[in-house]
Parts: sequence; C-alpha cells; structure tokens
Amino acid sequence: MADSRRPGQSIKNIRRTQIAMIFGYAFIVIAAVLTVTYLSLRKTDTVLKNEVTTLTSSLNVQMKLNLESYMSRMETIATLAFGDKLSYTYDATDPNNDEYEAINNEKVLSEKLYSLCIMENFVDYGIVYRNNRTVGKISNATSSLFGDRLFYELEKMISNPRYGDGWFTGFEDNFKRIYYVKQIHDNALLFISFYSYELGEVFDNPETLSDMKIRLVDKDYNIIYSKNSDERGLPLPEEIRKRIEGYSSASLLDDKYLVSVNRTGDWFVVCSIPTQIILNEKNEMTRFLFFTGIAAAVAAALVGFYLSYLLIKPVKSLVSDLDDKASSDRLTGILNKLAFEEMSSACIEHTLETEHRALIIFDIDDFKAVNDNYGHAAGDRLLRATGEILRSLFSEDDYLGRIGGDEFCVLVNSCLSDEKALRESVEAKCREFGKRLHSIAYFTEKSADITASIGISLFPENGRSFSELYNACDKALYRSKNDGKNSFSFFDPDTEREGEQ
Amino acid sequence: MKKQLIAALTAASMLFVTSCSEQSVVREQKSQTQITLSWWGNDTRNEYTLEAVRRFEEKYPDIKVKCSYSEWSGYEARNQVQMVSGTETDVMQINVGWLSQYSADGSGYYDLEQLSDTVDLTNFSDEMLAYGRRGGVLNAIPIAMNAETVYINKTVYDRYGLSVPKTWDELFSAAEVMKADGVFPMAGAAKSLWLYCVAYAEQAGGRQFFTDDSRIAFTEQDFLTMIEFYNRLVNESVIPKVEDFQKFNIDSGVYAGVVAWVSDAMNYFKEPLARGDEIIAADYTVLPGLESGTGWYAKPATLYAVSRNTEHPREAALLLDFMLNSPEWAELQGIDKGIPVSRSAREYLDSAGMLSGLQYDASLVMENNTLISQMNSVIEDSALYNSFIDACDLVLFDKSTAEEAAAKLCEEYKAAGYVFA
Repeated sequence: MADSRRPGQSIKNIRRTQIAMIFGYAFIVIAAVLTVTYLSLRKTDTVLKNEVTTLTSSLNVQMKLNLESYMSRMETIATLAFGDKLSYTYDATDPNNDEYEAINNEKVLSEKLYSLCIMENFVDYGIVYRNNRTVGKISNATSSLFGDRLFYELEKMISNPRYGDGWFTGFEDNFKRIYYVKQIHDNALLFISFYSYELGEVFDNPETLSDMKIRLVDKDYNIIYSKNSDERGLPLPEEIRKRIEGYSSASLLDDKYLVSVNRTGDWFVVCSIPTQIILNEKNEMTRFLFFTGIAAAVAAALVGFYLSYLLIKPVKSLVSDLDDKASSDRLTGILNKLAFEEMSSACIEHTLETEHRALIIFDIDDFKAVNDNYGHAAGDRLLRATGEILRSLFSEDDYLGRIGGDEFCVLVNSCLSDEKALRESVEAKCREFGKRLHSIAYFTEKSADITASIGISLFPENGRSFSELYNACDKALYRSKNDGKNSFSFFDPDTEREGEQ
Repeated sequence: MKKQLIAALTAASMLFVTSCSEQSVVREQKSQTQITLSWWGNDTRNEYTLEAVRRFEEKYPDIKVKCSYSEWSGYEARNQVQMVSGTETDVMQINVGWLSQYSADGSGYYDLEQLSDTVDLTNFSDEMLAYGRRGGVLNAIPIAMNAETVYINKTVYDRYGLSVPKTWDELFSAAEVMKADGVFPMAGAAKSLWLYCVAYAEQAGGRQFFTDDSRIAFTEQDFLTMIEFYNRLVNESVIPKVEDFQKFNIDSGVYAGVVAWVSDAMNYFKEPLARGDEIIAADYTVLPGLESGTGWYAKPATLYAVSRNTEHPREAALLLDFMLNSPEWAELQGIDKGIPVSRSAREYLDSAGMLSGLQYDASLVMENNTLISQMNSVIEDSALYNSFIDACDLVLFDKSTAEEAAAKLCEEYKAAGYVFA
C-alpha cells in the first residue's frame, strides 16, 4: 500500500553522497596505497640493484684475492727450489760437465725438488735446461705436450721481467694445466704446473650464490677455469665478454646480466648472473608488496564503508523521518496532497500506453454537517476512518492520498492489463467503500448516514497525464454529486460534453 | 557503536603492528661430510678419477670428496709423510708393498670387513682378497693385476726388417741395426729396468730374488750379473741410460720398445697408437731355451685402502664400493689399471665391449702366462733400485769395476736392513 514512506529526494541525495563517499574514499585509498607501493618498489629496486651489485663486486674481489693468494703460495713453493745452491749453480748445458758428476748432481737436485713439492697436487715441479734436459718431477703429459721444445716454449711464458717469471695456460689450446715459470739463469728455467681443476677450491662459491657463474679467463677471454669443466678452453660467452671488455675492475648491471670483473696479472676473474634470476626474487617481492597494498586498500575501503555506514545511518533515519512527515497527512497517515500528486504524476508519466490505471476521487457528502452537528473531533474521526477503509480496500501498489478537507484520491495501479477487469474491480471497491462508510455511521453518538460521491477516470482512455486524469475524474465526481450524491461515476466524455452543452 | 569502532581500530592496529614486527632471518647452508681421496697416476687417470668423483658426489650430494693426487714419481715419499704424520687420506690408492711397510700386523689400515655391509666383497675371490690381508685383517682390496710388460712398436721394428724379439740376444741384435739411427730397441724407467735386470739374473742364475721369508736370495755374483747386464744394455745401445729416459722419445719412435707396467700401456703409447703405429704386448724376454715368463713377476696393480684413523668410515665405504664395483666408475676407468678383479666391474666392461686394446692385450699376456711369479712387494722398494742404478753408473762412468760395484751394492743393502739368505 502506498503510504507516507515515499522515496524522497533527500534520501536519494544522501544515498548518492554515501556511494560517492565510499567509492571516492576507496579510490583515494587504493590510489594512495598503489602510489606508495609503486614508489616503495622503485626505491627498493634501486636499493636492491645497488646491494646486489655491491655484493657481487665484493664476491669478485674476494675470488680475486683467493686466486692471488693461491698463486702467491704456488710461487712461494716454486721459489723454495732456490734454497738449494745446486739449483742455481748447476747448468746441464755446460759442455765441461763431467757426465757422471752431472748425473749425480741431477739425482740430488731431483730428490730436492721432489721433497719440496711433496704435499701439493703438482703435475710438474722441475727444472728444464736449454738442451731440454730436465730434473725433478716432469710429467709425461708435459713431456708429450712440449716435446723437445720444452725450454723454448716455457721461456716464452715469462711475462714479468721484474721477477723473471710468468703464468701461462692454453699452450696449443690445452687449458688442463696451468704453468708457472721462473728463470733460474740463462740456460735453466724452474717451472711448476697443476690442473686447472685445482682452482675449484679457490672459486668455490657459497651455496647461496650457486647461480653465480665464476670464471677465470686469460687476456684473450678464453676460459681457464669454470665449474663447468666442459667450458674450459672455450671463449667467454659473447654476451658476457662484450659487457666487460675494456674494464679491469668493474661491476655492471643491465636488463640481462649482472657481471663483475677484476684483473689479476694478465687474467680476469669474471662473475656473472642473469639479471632474471635476481629479478625473480624482486618479482616475488613486488607481488608480495602489491598483494599487501591491495589487501590494505580493500581493508581501508571496508573500514571506510563501515564508518560511512555508521555516519550516514542516523542521518538517513532522521531524513527519512522528516521525509515521511513532510509527505504524509498527519490525520489519516496516507499521502498528503502534494506527495500524492508528485508520486501519481511520476507514476503516470512512466506508464505505458498498453497499461491501465484508474484515478478515483472520494468526496464525503455533507461533511460540513458532520462537523457542525457532531463537532470537529467527530469529523476528524470520520476522516481517519475513511483513510482506514481506503487502506483496507486498496493494495500496497495503489497510491492513497487526502487531497482536500473531505476529499480522498486513489491511483489504482493494480489490474493493469485488462480495462474491463479494472472497471469491475474499481466498481466493486467503490460499492464496498460506500457500504463500509455507511457502516461506520454508528461510531458517532447519534446515527448519521454518511455517504460519499465518487468520480473515476481511466488511463489512458480519459487522459495521459495526472492533470488530465484528475480533471476527468473531477468531472465524473461532479456528475455523481449532481446525480444526488452517494454514487460513483466513470468519466464519460460524451455525457460530459452534453452536460457542457 | 563507539565500542565497536574502538574494537575495530584496535584490531587493525594490532594487525599492523604484528605485521611490522622484525623477524630474524635464518639461512642454513647445506652441510656436507668431507672425505679425502688420494691416488697417483698420469693425466688420463687423474681426469677420469676426478670425473668419477664428480659422479660420486652427484650420487651422494651429502658427501664432498677432496682429492689429493700426483704422478707416481715422488708419490711414495708423499704417502710416507702422510702415513707417519697421521694425515693420510680417508680412502687411498696404495701399492701392495705398503701393506707390509705400514701394516705389519694388519692394524695399519682400516679393517674393511667391518664395512662389508656397504662394500660388496662378494665381487672378489678369496685369492684376490688375500693380497690385501695382513695378519688376517682385510686391509686393502686389489683393483687389478699388474706386471712389467714388454711393449714393442712393431711398426718401427718392421721398418728395420726385424721380428719381435723374444730373447735377450735378439734384442742385442736389434740394437746393432737400429743404433745407427739413434733408435733404441728398448727403454724403461728406473724401476722397470731394475725388474728387467732381475729377470735376466734369475734366468741366468736360476735363483729367485727373494726367499719365501723375504730374505734376499741373490748373491753378490747375481748382482754382478745384473750390473754387467745393465751396462751392456746401455753400452750396446739396447736402452738409453735411465737418467736419459724421456717419454717424448716413445712418441717419436726413438724408443722402439718399452718395458713398463700393464697399467702404463696407454700412458706411454697413446700418441704412437693415435699415429697408427702397431704396438704389441710381446712375450716376456728370456734367455734362449727358457720359457717366456721365467724370472718375471706379477702383482696386484694397486689396491684401495681406508685410513684406520678415518672419522667417516661409512662415507669412505660408500666411495670405496663406488670405485670398486659401480658401473659408473668402471665405465670411466675402463682397463686403465688393468682388467678389474671386481666381478661386477669386469662384467660391466665385458658387456660394454670395453675389454679390448693394448692394455687388455698386455693383461692377457700376463694372465695366460703360467710361469710368471707372484711378486714379493719388497722388491719394489725404491732403496733397492736406486742403489742399483747408482752402482751401474759407477761402472758405466768407470768409477769402479763391476765387481767392486756389486760388493758395494750388497753392503748398502745390508746397511739398509735387508737380510741376505
């Protein structure tokens, strides 16, 4: 039943404001959180890159120091050979040597050299003379590799004139052994060699950096050592090489690689790791931060929603209350004239041509007499009872209003599909209204025969707007009054025209 | 409502504070048990052993093996330092002679039968395991059998129209032909030539070097024979002096033959074989009228032992079993150390068609010879052969007569603690 709680503009406005507040708040919160997250990530990204680059650089320096320490130890062990005078006084190429004495000298020297390298994994530890005679520990592999060019080739490996020594590998592309050569005198060279495999201890990176590739390369960027033994002797991968070429000590980070290089002598220690592997951790962090940000934004939006609900709820209640009071007739509780007209006009405006509605005006006959004879209190009671009767007769969908002192109006919204059914329904309700109105005559102290005149107009036959329907209805009411009251009349255009004539 | 609001804000604050609290970061590193392994060998052996160790570490990621290796020269002294200083590796390749040297009563190495739940000993015959027993304790497990072998570069011999020598005389005849070109029909390192000369002296004197109780049965006359024989070999250009022995002369064909261990076949002849030369494992050289093998010795190539001081016997046992019995190791080792005595390793090599080549041929010469004797490991003592070479040099460079050198040699042996019969 249409009552005083019509959806007022104020409530609509408040609801709109509330929605705008919620969405606005949510938008601001999410935007703020996302902005903060984005800025944090950018900052974190920068910090992370700097940190990783620094750590890699440190690792590389550590590896370089390890290598230098290892090489220094090898050089020291090699230099121990000079502790025996025979090592630098004996010359196997001297034509004046007594052969027997020479053999014995070489035996003594060999024993000495063996004892010096006893605890190291050396492949070679010996002295070679310009005539390619050797003493000490000389491996078959070295003997095969150099043949009778042993002295000549080793002499070429001396690269440091200050100390008369040098490190070398890659002779005839053989990178399995690393050689250290030191000049003893014009006709003798001390040399040692060990497997490049031995550098595994030097470059043993911790498990946490297992993705980091650590390589030792020579000046031509050929790999001397890599954990992957298949790589040894091969050129450094081009994508790594082009990043470090020209640098002796640097760390570089770009989209594809983090590379760090440090020079030691003629060799370079190169650490590299694909940036993607570092980014994997960063991406994980990004996802975590965004997820946290979104969760925070949603939580903030929910809190905002709840707070706005708490804030709006009393306002809405107050406004709704005020709205009800403004739109209802206080005596009968049904709509007042203004609200009824607004709602009915809006309803009819949105009604389709195929639908049917009826507007009914109820006018209590001789109401003034009730007031005069029984007092205004009785009149008010009659009006309240009339409102009750209308409430009980019409459905929830129909609009009920008091549009004048003793005038009531109903917009019937039910039975919309069939005009005939609508007419019959309206007729039945009008008759029933008459009966019930008559039956309440006894509520007064003295009996009074209360009747009402009723006018009815139909949509769309009698009008397509509220004002047209109301005029038509008013005319039908006027006819009922003229016909002796206590009756109802449908608007009939022909009858009305005759009446006018 | 106020209460609800306060409760909600408090809960949110707690959540925030909790989420912001500092958490300590713990990053555990993988812990590994480190064991040590030592061996001697050439490049090839070192490379495949390192690769096999890598496979082992892959199979047992909780174990890290630290390797200690060297060529044979000097290794004996290194091993001695480690053994007497208690720094020997957990698992070690040992020479058969070291068993008597370091484990007279069987307590010098770990009792491997205590590890038999991990090391599959059923792959080895009792006869083979007996090589590794000291005082009834299983100290070591042999890898393969080994013997000095006569390798002949038949391509070079053919070039001179010479047949493969079977007797010493044929060898001296070959030298007559080859020496004009500076080519030697035979060559060898110190220990090989020592055993070469022992073989000759046993054939000539009809006496074995040792008695059954490890006393020296050779007389001063036998040592004289050896010294004279060595000098004749050098003087008649059958062999270069020991001191002049250079591996690259094998590669170049300057040495047309080499006396060396079965296990050294590929170490010495990889290059000539790669060049296409025909290398054969010839019969053991003898005096005319004697059967091939007389005076020659065979021994377990090498053995594996575990340190009696090892702190990680289980891990050491895993590595030992992997080295002896696993197909992974057998595949890489092949017959480098000779034909494996481990049944499972041998079966794997057979099924993989890897029982072939010069080393295999040398193994067959050894296995098929019925006269070859079981070596007393003391004969490999470096003190014995170094003194012998010194004595030979005295004669070679006219510093003394052969008789004087032989007498001096016997005195040196006695002074070193060797007992004569």
